[in-house]
Amino acid sequence: MQLKGNRQSLLPGFVVSCALFAMATGLLLLLFSQQGNNSINLGSRYHRILAWTALQATLSTMISVVIGIVLGWALSHRQRFPGRAVFIALLSSALVLPTLVVALGLVTVLGRSGWINDALQLAGFDPFKPFIYGLPGILIAHAYFNASFAARTVLNRLQSIPSSQLKLASSLGLTPLQRFRLLEFPALTTALPALCTTIFLLCFTSFAIVLVLGGSPKYNTLEVSIYEAIKLDFDLGRAIGLSLLQLGVCALLVLATNRSASVLSIGAPARLTTGLHYSKTEIANQYLVIVTFGIFFLMPLVAIVSDGVTGDLFKVLLQPVFVKALITSIAIATASTIIVLFASILICSSITTLAVRQGAEASLLSRLMLRFINFSATLYLVIPSLVLGLGFFLLARQTGGSYLLWSVVSLLAANTLLVLPFALTSLSPAMIKAANRYDRLALSLSITGLARWRLIESTLVRPELAYVASLAFCMSLGDLGVIALFGSQDFVTLPWLLYQKMGSYRTAEAAGVALVTLALTLFVFLTLPRIGTAPRET
Amino acid sequence: MLILESVAFQYPRTATTYSFDMQASAGAVTAITGKSGCGKSTLLDLIAGFQQPGSGDIYWHDQPLNKLTPAARPVTTVFQRNNLFEHRNAIDNVIVGINPKIPSYGIDYDAAAEALALVGLAGFEKKRASQLSGGQQQRVAIARALVRATADKAPLIQFDEPFSALDQATREQMLSLVKRLATTHQCAILMVTHSIADCDAIADARYEIRDGRLFSL
Repeated sequence: MQLKGNRQSLLPGFVVSCALFAMATGLLLLLFSQQGNNSINLGSRYHRILAWTALQATLSTMISVVIGIVLGWALSHRQRFPGRAVFIALLSSALVLPTLVVALGLVTVLGRSGWINDALQLAGFDPFKPFIYGLPGILIAHAYFNASFAARTVLNRLQSIPSSQLKLASSLGLTPLQRFRLLEFPALTTALPALCTTIFLLCFTSFAIVLVLGGSPKYNTLEVSIYEAIKLDFDLGRAIGLSLLQLGVCALLVLATNRSASVLSIGAPARLTTGLHYSKTEIANQYLVIVTFGIFFLMPLVAIVSDGVTGDLFKVLLQPVFVKALITSIAIATASTIIVLFASILICSSITTLAVRQGAEASLLSRLMLRFINFSATLYLVIPSLVLGLGFFLLARQTGGSYLLWSVVSLLAANTLLVLPFALTSLSPAMIKAANRYDRLALSLSITGLARWRLIESTLVRPELAYVASLAFCMSLGDLGVIALFGSQDFVTLPWLLYQKMGSYRTAEAAGVALVTLALTLFVFLTLPRIGTAPRET
Repeated sequence: MLILESVAFQYPRTATTYSFDMQASAGAVTAITGKSGCGKSTLLDLIAGFQQPGSGDIYWHDQPLNKLTPAARPVTTVFQRNNLFEHRNAIDNVIVGINPKIPSYGIDYDAAAEALALVGLAGFEKKRASQLSGGQQQRVAIARALVRATADKAPLIQFDEPFSALDQATREQMLSLVKRLATTHQCAILMVTHSIADCDAIADARYEIRDGRLFSL
């Protein structure tokens, strides 16, 4: 049995998976055990909250996927235009853009006294009725993040269509619709179920967007209701009940859809020549799609930069609370990045061992282990950060330990779980490819352990590692999840500070904090992967 | 007859320039050989309209092709792989050569079924392309080229190393099929190949690409 021989590369990752699973199960059991101590009275409202959460997630998913397909399609056919690479890099960054920052940008553009209304009034038209709060605002914000994510995935899939098939379509004179039906849609079908499930789950568990743009309790999702039950009403019974409800629904969805397919990958294969002939109308439509979405995507970011620069940026920079938030955020993000890198490397080593080296002769045990490891890495989709946060919150109350310490532990755990699914989707294929290529050679030369890692993986998967590091840092920096529960005067991060300033209507200061958060996020996300691909000095 | 007159081409940001002059007759197989990367596929792309020449002219029976879109040219290209829409069945993959509105019944279906029978795939009509072997997939692609030639849509057929991945027996069957296409259906056939044996077996004329130019052998 090969399993025995590969124990060295299999065990560490398996142990990490067990630890993650044990942590999740422990917190879950804690929630169940607390049910008895707190009277759970969800009343009839939870039906409405659940239905509403599912409805907004369904609508958000449909809108995001449709826009994502159209945009991905347009980008796949427009291979050369100025700024294409930057535009695609920005689309990828939507995954890590701080939700609060974007929400603030959307309000600046589409709000009552937003840019659009100002422009309408300047042009002599009546301003439109603001729709940024409530369902439209939630859908727009979800589409902002998820359509970009979907477009990136769709683009990758479409760019992997062999050029000979595109030439064939061109040679046969297929219309754009026939080409989409025969060639492009089939290329997407394997990715669509996983893409839809992922987006649905992200929208179902959306917190910051609904909190800021919901505008009314009637738009509260499960996640926001949990937050309000803890922070506003201090009704732990209701919070636990809602958490268990959310857990159940997410677990059912993840298990039912078997979200195992990779939906996110970096670096699409470049298609130099498509061989397709386009009519002028088709080209115009493709550019129309790109420009329209480009404006929609860039406007809120430009608004943040503009408001930040013209607002109280320097006043904010000098505030002790800002400096404290900045240092805390960078420290938490750095620590999370290190943990994510270690955890994902170890887990990916196990996945590689099980997926590749076991081959077709995989035993039932190794197949089960592979499923378990994959599941443990996608725990975040089952246990959203607020539910996790509530678990730690209860643990902190029970153990009576340092509240600050538990806050940090809780934040690091949530960040790790948040990034792991994306980290593994990027890192696993690269490590499996490296194993396929060099396993036999390394074994024949008896190169194992750290020596093998230095010689093979550290070089071959360096771009993916840099990408994972940037992903972990940025997602951790901008997340307003657990910190919403644990944030205080003593423990303040940039998103928490931004939320506080927005909540107290200090919009000029909020714009300053948003600008710093955005700049830091984009700088790290766009530069760190470049370090990973830089040629090594010899 | 296919005629290329001083057809020049250069990929953006590269130093290599190509300059092609050649003729290929209907009813004959013209083989194109040359080292990897010498420009064989570029030549086929220019004829099919996937690339536009910088200068020079391409004629088919005295009709200039340069300004025609790939779909309007009388050309079918059979690639080394990925010739089929894998989620559709064999018959749909043939019909799409003459009528993209698949599934289609009636005359289109009959013609496609006949072409499949000619390439030895009678009974495979409803089989999914992804379930066919490499040799069978290439035969379906040839059947499609055949129906296009018969419908007078594309009497010029280009083969871009189509049999390099096939075993010897299947390869020989395919070669005789290609020869029959030329002689029976009066198609002009351009075949890019690395194999001297393939040239010896069926080629009526030969060209070699060296230093970006075509040389008649």
